[in-house]
Amino acid sequence: MTHRLALLGATALSLLPFGAFAQPKELVLYCSVNEEWCRAQSEAFMRETGINVLMTRKSSGETYAQIKAEEGQPRGDVWWGGTGDPHLQAAQEDLTEAYESPVLAELQPWARAQAETSGFKTVGVYAGALGFGYNSTMVTENPPACWADLLDERYADDIQVANPNSSGTAYTMLATMVQLMGEDEAFAYLAKLHANINQYTKSGSAPIRAAATGESAIGIVFMHDAVAETVSGAPIVTVAPCEGTGYEVGSMSLIKGGPNPEAAKIWYDWALSPAAQEIGATAKSYQVPSNSSAATPPEAPKLADIKLIDYDFAKYGSSETRAALLARWDAEIGALPK
Amino acid sequence: MQALQGRIGLFWSGLLMAAVLALPWYKGGATLASALSEGVAGRVWLLPLVGAALALALLSVATRDWRVHPAGAALVGAGLGWLLLQGFGIGLRGPVLPGLGLLFPTAQSGQPGFGWGAWVAGIALIGALAEVLAARGFCRGERFAAFSIIGIVAALSLFVFFPILKLMSAAFVGPDGTLALAPFLNRITASDLWSVGCLTGAGRCGVVINSLVLGILSAALATALGLALALLVARTDFRMKRLLRAISILPIITPPFVVGVAIIVLFGRTGIVTVEVAEWFGIRPTRWIYGLPGILLAQVLAFAPVTFLVLLSALEAINPTLEEASTTLGAKPVTTFRTVTWPLLRPALAAAFLLAFIESLADFGNPIVLGGSYDVLSTKIFFAVVGAQYDLGQAATLSVLLLTLTVAAFWVQTRWLGRASYVTVTGKSDAGLVAPVPPLIKWAAVAAVVPFVVFTVGIYAIVLIGGFVKDIGRMEMAPTFGHLWTAFSFEINANGLQLFGSAWNSMITTLWVSALSAPLTMAVGILTAWLIARQDFTGKRAFEFGTLLSFAIPGTVVGVSYIAAFNVPPIDITGTMAILVICFVFRNLPVGMRAGIAALAQIDRSMEEASQTMGAGGGRVLRDVVLPLIRPAIFTALVYSFVTAMTAVSAVIFLVSARHNMATAYIMGRVENGEYALAIAYSTVLMLVMVACVAAMNWAVGKRRLGRRTGVTGTAQPAE
Amino acid sequence: MTQTAIEFRSVVKRYGDATAVAGIDLAIGKGELVTFLGPSGCGKTTSLRLIAGLELPTEGQVFIAGRDVSRDPASARNVGMVFQSYALFPHISVLENVAYGPVIRGTPKAEAQARAREILEQVGLAGLESRLPAELSGGQQQRVAVARAIVQQPDVILFDEPLSNVDAKLRRKVREEIRSLQRRFGLTAVYVTHDQEEALAVSDRIVVMDKGRIAQVGTPTDLYEHPANPFIADFIGDANLIRGTVAQGRFTAPGMALPVSGPDGPATLSIRPERITLTPGGPDRVVSATYLGSRMEYTVAAQVGEMLVSRPIFEPRLKAGQDVSLHITDTDVSRVA
Repeated sequence: MTHRLALLGATALSLLPFGAFAQPKELVLYCSVNEEWCRAQSEAFMRETGINVLMTRKSSGETYAQIKAEEGQPRGDVWWGGTGDPHLQAAQEDLTEAYESPVLAELQPWARAQAETSGFKTVGVYAGALGFGYNSTMVTENPPACWADLLDERYADDIQVANPNSSGTAYTMLATMVQLMGEDEAFAYLAKLHANINQYTKSGSAPIRAAATGESAIGIVFMHDAVAETVSGAPIVTVAPCEGTGYEVGSMSLIKGGPNPEAAKIWYDWALSPAAQEIGATAKSYQVPSNSSAATPPEAPKLADIKLIDYDFAKYGSSETRAALLARWDAEIGALPK
Repeated sequence: MQALQGRIGLFWSGLLMAAVLALPWYKGGATLASALSEGVAGRVWLLPLVGAALALALLSVATRDWRVHPAGAALVGAGLGWLLLQGFGIGLRGPVLPGLGLLFPTAQSGQPGFGWGAWVAGIALIGALAEVLAARGFCRGERFAAFSIIGIVAALSLFVFFPILKLMSAAFVGPDGTLALAPFLNRITASDLWSVGCLTGAGRCGVVINSLVLGILSAALATALGLALALLVARTDFRMKRLLRAISILPIITPPFVVGVAIIVLFGRTGIVTVEVAEWFGIRPTRWIYGLPGILLAQVLAFAPVTFLVLLSALEAINPTLEEASTTLGAKPVTTFRTVTWPLLRPALAAAFLLAFIESLADFGNPIVLGGSYDVLSTKIFFAVVGAQYDLGQAATLSVLLLTLTVAAFWVQTRWLGRASYVTVTGKSDAGLVAPVPPLIKWAAVAAVVPFVVFTVGIYAIVLIGGFVKDIGRMEMAPTFGHLWTAFSFEINANGLQLFGSAWNSMITTLWVSALSAPLTMAVGILTAWLIARQDFTGKRAFEFGTLLSFAIPGTVVGVSYIAAFNVPPIDITGTMAILVICFVFRNLPVGMRAGIAALAQIDRSMEEASQTMGAGGGRVLRDVVLPLIRPAIFTALVYSFVTAMTAVSAVIFLVSARHNMATAYIMGRVENGEYALAIAYSTVLMLVMVACVAAMNWAVGKRRLGRRTGVTGTAQPAE
Repeated sequence: MTQTAIEFRSVVKRYGDATAVAGIDLAIGKGELVTFLGPSGCGKTTSLRLIAGLELPTEGQVFIAGRDVSRDPASARNVGMVFQSYALFPHISVLENVAYGPVIRGTPKAEAQARAREILEQVGLAGLESRLPAELSGGQQQRVAVARAIVQQPDVILFDEPLSNVDAKLRRKVREEIRSLQRRFGLTAVYVTHDQEEALAVSDRIVVMDKGRIAQVGTPTDLYEHPANPFIADFIGDANLIRGTVAQGRFTAPGMALPVSGPDGPATLSIRPERITLTPGGPDRVVSATYLGSRMEYTVAAQVGEMLVSRPIFEPRLKAGQDVSLHITDTDVSRVA
């Protein structure tokens, strides 16, 4: 009898937290670029260092929400990739750790600016401009070249974009429109565009995938995501909007109080190195790398050729602006009848 | 005997001593950071527990039988009470109950969650409590039964009721963090929940309306289809019983999302069927499938097998002599069907409808893939938690609504089944002729069933092919194992075996979680069944209701409630594998329990009593007599919990972490990103693994099955 | 009385609001076979289960072999029990069934099986050890159940309606077997039945129970010949109950006067049907005459009311409608109220 009760006790014990013991040689990575790149990057790091990478891919908005939810008990070490705004917001809310990497000096000015704005709690790892892509088998005549063209009723129910609540891409679009047109005009534009939108997806790059398979005709995404579809054989034509467009500084942050701080710094320094930054192109990710010595992939949309607006990262990355814009989006766009 | 019982008392107080003196009290604490050393170091509120442990140990040595000593009961009760009070009263960042802050100034710095020491102390105190109660006649003095009941009640309270209560309270928390009625009222009356704009043509409908419309349509169609299938199988010469039964098992082992993906591949804007149809009729392909039509299609396909099984057993239970009597009285087949068969079927129809309705409300996988902009409660809850606008209050409010709806439906269903079961099988020979259904009804049934079979076959064809061709979404049909390799690549190099495939992490976790949770679920379920069927104790009805309640809670609600309850000390287990295992154990518990109760009902209770009078304690009775006789129920419970752990998504989607990801959560990410081929390939692997594991279990459990005992094991699924 | 084996002290058992046993005091001697007899729901089975430990008393105490076992579960008591359904374990052999108890209580397996073999031989089942219970006849199964109950030399062996699953023809034989085994092993036995004939045949003493209380305790003869109250008189055997009055040692009822003892006032007498003699001619009339093979049974309309009379078959037969006289003497009656 005694030993049976003991057995029962042992069974009950087996229910106890397994994860209570941190193991060395491990890194928990929250990855917000596309899955394929996440995989390639983790694999390269595992090969190089032998540190096992536990990677979750989630869009940047979701990752930000997760880090905030885990504030008391951080589970992740590094948040790599994804648009800069939520990274800045996390920095502002003190969810991430300040760290000045020795590699910082090698970076492009826009990447360093990102670090300086945030008090070195985040840093730029790549840049990419916002735009859209259309499926050339579905849009054959008079293809759209400007933001204004997307309002054409030819595209009724044929345009996809992500929901700015979950996607950094879509938030960048929202912020770009506000900076380009002024807030009220921007919302008027989005309200008109709503008539043509068939779905607000959760993931930022899903719309171009839908355009590639023909589920939708046009996807509003970062241009490098559109290029990636073209490279893998989809009939996608990438457009840099004529009015000008915003861009993202894809960023990286160390999560405050993460379980493996040493491994996190190893990743951080490595991810800023030229070799690590050239991995993206092998995974069909054609962003512009932030390390000046890293080669820019030939397919990447040249930032110099695109009419870029002077994107105010400090303002549009701040919690207040972000919350206000999203609340207005929910009330004025999200609630519109379909 | 007396001496022996004294020794067992020592076991619990010894365990308690070990827990407070030798084990790390807090989560992640050092080995030596026991309650005693933490208490001495400043967390003085732990010292009363150490004191209670010492006093209990003294008492068990000094008195003849501490269990009947009044001080024993007092110490155990006070110990348990204080353990909980200090755990919940002093949080990570200081006292939650202000009184404790005044009493213990050092509590301002807070305390982490329970670690090994605290958990073991809790178990030891519960064990001691069971001893104390058994010595006072609880469970006829059976110590094993007393320990089981108290243990299960404690576990249910902790892992079912506490999270739900916590969730409900979260619904009343405003943005500023205070508890008030206003935020709840604001949220619950919001127009995006209740608007009926879509019906009047003035805008969108609220999610509650959407969910109800979907639930009613889906349940009605699934019940109609299920009835057609059941009539064909039971009442016509259209004999495809085996095929239809096989098809009815498929949804159980099909991972979520994959049916949705197959539907998109077939009927999406560029779907195989859509494009063909568009070319024939020269119309523009549309996205009609996204939204209500798509979800409805997927749900009807998924739920029709369930309603089919319910209605088939009801049809088979109708005594043919009743119908025969009607015919001999001169009624035409249509009249017989209308006046005899149909009324007898009505309770089963209602039950099937409610079952499908509950499943539809709880369904998460199909709406998230096919919903487009058609929001339902389950997806809305999901986005409230994982979206950028992390809003637990909103999620909790929606969860309370969803829970109210499903529990209400569940309650109605239980009432209905309890009251009007027209069982016409009497055990006497009822060799009447089966009344054939009228031709009109037969052809209507055929017309409904043929598309169902064609659809199902088409969808599973996509599932089989899709993972192994280049891109099924774009109809590039070159065969490839590339997707499989992406998911499961590995390499043996200088670092040893390295698993590079992105799916390895989730696959390994899924197997671990399933393998751990299946036997635990089975054990707890069967034990619970035995307690309910064989033990008399106060509060048994409440106990039974509690276990059944966990059946009616939708997975999404469970997920949110676990986040609300277990993200903070003292029970701080989010992000661990334990929370996944626990979640499955308590969600699937009712299945094992029902199978167990059904099997036990067929076993003469006096066999267990005989075993007891010959000196066997409760545990021994269970092992020697009960378990060997209810093997089929054990198998059912084991297989069911294993398979569910591999395919469930709605609860786990909230509980997975980077460290412990699950297959279904991973697949969902791939579907979201449009990587359909990878999702399908992974699902295929998952299904194969399931089939292999079930076969292995069958071999392990079933090899000594008694030929003459075939267990009747009615099963139903918990609301997904 | 010899040494006490079992003792009930003010035992009460309640299930919620329902009282199954409403206060019992009883001592059962060592080596005695005591039967609990009563209609269904009288508390006899509950009393048996209280001895087994399958129920624990709500109030009062149960002693077995001088030890208070009121709070001990069944597994901690040394009792053997033969169940109505036999409750043999269907998945293990006859030998394993019988050896089960000793093995549970810690006897090495080989020794336990040797003992089981010995007992099986004594109950006449040698050679059937390796069969499964389902492969035995009903009577054999019962003997296995008895063997299993006595193999551990229990303080008491309990029989719960052991004959209810036995063919009517075999019952007499089986109950004699039970009785002889009990005597041979010197076992204290408690036996539950609702069949009064079975109780009379098998018991040293009978405890008649009614509504959770003991109605009367006594030897079979006591109970039959001197029932303490109308319930006992009616429950055990057939009885004619006659209401009348007692004054100065004489009982009077319409057309009837007998000397009886006891206090004056209203009284009820019990007369067994076979104690009444009938002679042709007289004030009373035969209403019906039934031929039962071994005896004749008459219903006679007398002045005190209808009387049931049972007469040996060899006496001259009377016919329905015939006038007769009833003869009752004071030694044939007992006062029950």
